[in-house]
Amino acid sequence: MTTLLDRRFHFVTGKGGVGKTTITSALALSLAARDKRVLICGCNAKERFSALFEAPPLGHDVTLVAENVWATNIDPGRAMEEYGQMILKSRTVSRAVFDNRYVRSFFRATPGLYEWAMLGKAWFHAVEPSPDGTPPFDAVIVDAPATGHGLDMLRVPKVIVDVVPPGILRRDAERAWEMFRDERQTGVVIVTLPEDMPVNETLELSEAMTGELGLHVSNVVVNGMIPPLFSAPERASLLAPRALDERTRGGVAVAAGARRALRETIQAEALAKLGKHLSSPKVYVPLYFGGVNGLAEVREIARRLS
Amino acid sequence: MSLAPLLESRRVVLCVGSGGVGKTTTAAALGLAAAMQGKRVLCLTIDPAKRLANSLGLEAMTSEAQVVDPARFAEAGLAVGGSLTVMMLDTKRTFDELVRTYASSPEARDRILGNKLYQYVSTSLAGTHEYMAMEKLHAVKREGKYDLILLDTPPTANALDFLDAPERLVSALDSAAMRWFIEVFQESGSLSFNLLAKTAAVVLKGIGKLTGGGFLQQVAEFVTQLNDLFGGFKERAAEVARSLRAPDVAFVLVTSPAPMAIQEVLFFAERLREQGMPQDAVVVNRVNQPPRSPTDALAAREEAARLALGLDDDGPDRLVQASHDEGKLAELDRRNLAPLAAALGELSARPLRVDVPALPYDVHDLASLAEVARHLAS
Ligand SMILES: Nc1ncnc2c1ncn2[C@@H]1O[C@H](COP(=O)(O)OP(=O)(O)O)[C@@H](O)[C@H]1O
Ligand SMILES: Nc1ncnc2c1ncn2[C@@H]1O[C@H](COP(=O)(O)OP(=O)(O)O)[C@@H](O)[C@H]1O
Ligand SMILES: [Mg+2]
Ligand SMILES: [Mg+2]
Repeated sequence: MTTLLDRRFHFVTGKGGVGKTTITSALALSLAARDKRVLICGCNAKERFSALFEAPPLGHDVTLVAENVWATNIDPGRAMEEYGQMILKSRTVSRAVFDNRYVRSFFRATPGLYEWAMLGKAWFHAVEPSPDGTPPFDAVIVDAPATGHGLDMLRVPKVIVDVVPPGILRRDAERAWEMFRDERQTGVVIVTLPEDMPVNETLELSEAMTGELGLHVSNVVVNGMIPPLFSAPERASLLAPRALDERTRGGVAVAAGARRALRETIQAEALAKLGKHLSSPKVYVPLYFGGVNGLAEVREIARRLS
Repeated sequence: MSLAPLLESRRVVLCVGSGGVGKTTTAAALGLAAAMQGKRVLCLTIDPAKRLANSLGLEAMTSEAQVVDPARFAEAGLAVGGSLTVMMLDTKRTFDELVRTYASSPEARDRILGNKLYQYVSTSLAGTHEYMAMEKLHAVKREGKYDLILLDTPPTANALDFLDAPERLVSALDSAAMRWFIEVFQESGSLSFNLLAKTAAVVLKGIGKLTGGGFLQQVAEFVTQLNDLFGGFKERAAEVARSLRAPDVAFVLVTSPAPMAIQEVLFFAERLREQGMPQDAVVVNRVNQPPRSPTDALAAREEAARLALGLDDDGPDRLVQASHDEGKLAELDRRNLAPLAAALGELSARPLRVDVPALPYDVHDLASLAEVARHLAS
């Protein structure tokens, strides 16, 4: 069976703030620990990789951020230009095209073009051969935009294949699309939280990814798991309706216990729902009460992913 | 602090912020608060959770205006003197309506609506969702049926996108670039390069090589059709952009305590300031609260016994652990929020700031919505 760590291309997506960037970074470290050369691609977002890897701020240029891990925060305008230069071969022609201000604003206004530029660049990094013929990266991880935008981005190659007439753009989109749909090579990783609404969204997102787009959801990462403190009967007892008085030391503890019991109950229900409706393998990552601040936590999460 | 004065003095309140911070919740809770103050309220929402919509009695998620049944409020024990109407935004439908209104002829209208590219453009052209949200807002504001309109905003990757949306959409559709392409194609008929200026020919050949020749023509035809709308459309967009700057409009910046969300809100506040727009309020949502007092296992044991909780032997220790864990989360939020407090302190016209505690459950029913409303505008 193909596991998470065998694939060459990973999209990490999910609702805003659920931990996509954190999980992307951890996944990169766990792949790197298996001697893979990994590239992380941010999609023109305010980047947090440098904080997580405790490295200098990250831009468009591919930069080494940890052993065997490189990262780039793709600038779509520059990605377009690089693409143009590669295809048009001549620098002069490519300059004429990309320095033309009409062309620039045309590109900016064309829906999906920037998404394709970013996605295409990430794809290219996964397939381009080095001068010596070996691929420079064994795995590429895209820290995709949040749910809706992530879906929009993944739709783009399909739309290009549908509406653009045969040409280089169409050819590349077809190749990329073929790789994205090949579950041995590509997996979508959905990050979610153990709560009701995020789980519902995850079910919808997974359905759209597999149904509408025909992609493979390789893993669901449930991030921010609270370690359960109470057994089911204890939770029931704590949740029995009663007035909580937080003015006493004892009252503070019981009130905190009741809130925790409620969260644990919601978590248990959310996990049950996820298990019932989604067969993709799941990975669970605990909530760090002191936050995820740097390499120490990311390394720990990486160990859970492998 | 409370946002009640804002609900009292403004006709439009926009909730902006990055994805997942609680914009939809804040818009709905503010709507409820205003309706409880006796106002006729419209909540223009984008992506309410199904359970939240259901709890308001909106079984069918349509884009028709739906009045929340007063019986619902009564059931939840809420005294609502005004009314709450909820409307879902439908980007494609709003765009279709614009095309219907501004097309010069029925033929022109059908050509656009039937164009293969239109369905992509009408939902995914940069800024379409944002613009259509404002467009709808503008339309209902003019109708004058409501005392207060709350606008939930789309989950933009970047909250700043929202402000630029009208300009971006107009410049996308009506840019010099589009005109240039149209002219080039009209002059050349079917792309005969030799008739074109040399650079234009180089450029077009270059792009044609990328996309395949016919595509550009397809795009140019479509743009020509859209151009047909521009007269009316451009004016409309300018009007919409202007109405956002009216003094009866308030901006509420919603954030969570996460550092990236805070950064985003600070950027946004800065942009509003640059554009001479008000930054009326900041809502920090889902803030973890510190324990009200220290606690210990002995006190926990006594209280658990008094309440006959029937926990296992080490139960009281775990109650204390729960309180400590809450303390750690509260401490993390406090640390993360320090830069926000500092930045807001530096602003000359300091916005209102309201913190809403993290509830241990989702805000999916009227009771919890009312709880958030109480924190926002009591
Ligand atoms: N397991 C975790 N425990 C505690 N905090 C977390 C955890 N995962 C993520 N976070 C925090 O949540 C916030 C959002 O995480 P991030 O990875 O940037 O999410 P996204 O990329 O989906 O927006 C960050 O402040 C991060 O430190
Ligand atoms: N103060 C809060 N405490 C607990 N859960 C909350 C709170 N505010 C919002 N939520 C929950 O967080 C999730 C995201 O909120 P939502 O308003 O949909 O965010 P946005 O519209 O910004 O994406 C929802 O499930 C909502 O019920
Ligand atoms: Mg991120
Ligand atoms: Mg929302």
